[in-house]
Amino acid sequence: MTEQDHKKIADLLKQTLSPVNPEPSRDLWSAMLRRLEQRPATKSWLAVMFSPASLASVPWFDWALLAALIIGLCIYPKSIPVWLYHF
Amino acid sequence: MNTHPYLRAYMAGSAVPTMMLVVVLSGFLIARYTFQIPIPIERAIVFPMALVPNIFGLWNIFYLWLRPRRHLPIGFHGALLPFILAPLGFGLATVSGFLAATSGGLVWFHELVVPYGFLALGFSFALIAYYLVWKYIVGFFNGVLGIA
Repeated sequence: MTEQDHKKIADLLKQTLSPVNPEPSRDLWSAMLRRLEQRPATKSWLAVMFSPASLASVPWFDWALLAALIIGLCIYPKSIPVWLYHF
Repeated sequence: MNTHPYLRAYMAGSAVPTMMLVVVLSGFLIARYTFQIPIPIERAIVFPMALVPNIFGLWNIFYLWLRPRRHLPIGFHGALLPFILAPLGFGLATVSGFLAATSGGLVWFHELVVPYGFLALGFSFALIAYYLVWKYIVGFFNGVLGIA
């Protein structure tokens, strides 16, 4: 491509593309503030972990396993120090 | 760009037992000073404080390394860990002098007798506990750190 071709392409592009208005048609700052206010607050990881949605996704057999663990600890509480040692 | 996935896996794995350490220490203190169980805290805390968090971190690194090769769900991967931790814990407790094997069963902290018949039940409970912890807590931390 020669320099003349480059110039020709540039002229064609200038003719084809409409000129951009450097000023926005309306004030965008108020819309930006509204958008920022709409953003949900960042939740802590504990809130995410124990959110109703994540608790609802736990299958029933995992709840059953957890219940078995708790019942086992209640039946044999003397084993708690041994459990603590192994965790 | 190297995003250090193994370092993140180590941190995600070791976070859970590190947070549990406060619970463990509180439990030991309550057992010793409220229920008068003679737990040698300074020796008993070595295993949950020094070894378990590191092994959790390394096990999570192993999970990440293993994933493209032979994928095992994280819960089952975690449930395999007691097969390593239980012998280590028993060995260290025996060497430290607060676990003894007698004819009636294992004697923990010179006071708590665990009959041999209960060992298999206790071990299966450990498998359940580790399965749940790895599936829901370590898995969650892996997700938070972007390695799930």
